[in-house]
Amino acid sequence: MADRAVSPLPGASRMEQLVESIAERVVNLVLDAIDINAIVGQVDMDALLAKVDIDAIVSKVDVDSLIDRVDVQKIIDRVDVDEIVNRVDVDQIVARVDVEAIIERVDVQSIIERVDIEQVIQRVDIDKLVEQTELGTIIAHSTSGVASEVLDVVRAQGVGLDDFVARWVNRILRRSSEDWSPGPPKLVNPPVPVPALPLEASA
Amino acid sequence: MNPPPVTAAPLDAGRQGHYAGGVTRLVAFAADVGASWGIFTLALAGLSFAINLVTGNQVNLGSRQVLALSGLVIWEFIYFAYQWSLAGKTIGMAVLGIRVVSKDGDAITPRQAVIRTITLPLSFLFFGLGFLGILLNRDRHAWHDRLAGTVVVYSWDARAARLRWLAKQEPTTPV
Repeated sequence: MADRAVSPLPGASRMEQLVESIAERVVNLVLDAIDINAIVGQVDMDALLAKVDIDAIVSKVDVDSLIDRVDVQKIIDRVDVDEIVNRVDVDQIVARVDVEAIIERVDVQSIIERVDIEQVIQRVDIDKLVEQTELGTIIAHSTSGVASEVLDVVRAQGVGLDDFVARWVNRILRRSSEDWSPGPPKLVNPPVPVPALPLEASA
Repeated sequence: MNPPPVTAAPLDAGRQGHYAGGVTRLVAFAADVGASWGIFTLALAGLSFAINLVTGNQVNLGSRQVLALSGLVIWEFIYFAYQWSLAGKTIGMAVLGIRVVSKDGDAITPRQAVIRTITLPLSFLFFGLGFLGILLNRDRHAWHDRLAGTVVVYSWDARAARLRWLAKQEPTTPV
């Protein structure tokens, strides 16, 4: 428009308007006549894309800021995990897993060190186990005998009589049984072994 | 005052390392006296028989009282001191499931075993006054225990005994 304003020839402005309207009309006619889809169909997109340097484009993208703008939680909320899991063939995945290789990579010793064996044993009902399994028969065959049975009975009776006498003495002396020391410190209160540190802590 | 009931100790009670009571110790000592005397008498008779065989003379070592008494004292010393220093227990103590340890719980040393054996007769003085500590003291020391720095504890594994008893029962239902 500024060019138009400084045009040296009179009537030039009207001429330009005329030319513009003619050009506009011509372009519209040409565009109507052209089949854009046919032209696009003739373009070799593969060749075109082969010339594009995708890495250069991607390197210009600030991925971090892009990710920052994504609401991941919202995306996760919209995912039907159950549906995905139902479509997963777990057997096929497991079949492709090299279990031997995984086991070889596991440090069994460190796992054992982190297990509280005492707590595990406390949860085992030894009496029930011996009563209901062949373990009982094994123990019976290996350790039992008339002599050991007699010894067990004699010892149990002896300990019972010891307790009986101790209770009487305590009554006479008006002393509580809790006042008695149960035994030498190293035998009744053995030092507790220090548990191994977890791997994360020791690393 | 109602008398406390006399019952056998429950077989699952863990008594290992606890001070042994007077009754168990008395029975163990009686068993040891019987065992040591029996062995000594048999040995004496065997020796007399061997002398008779070799020399052809009729010799009865048991009738020579000074010799027999000296031999008995030496034998009793060997019987107790050797067994205590070796395993912390005598035959009688093994039968009753008790053993001698140092007062802190460590194994008894040969020196302690010898001192305990030598001072054992002291506890018999004054009608066995030295044994009264087994009933009255908190750590159940007799005099010879105190002099040797030892205590007597239960070594019997009551839990193992209970497992043996359970093992004899018929299995009920499979796990």
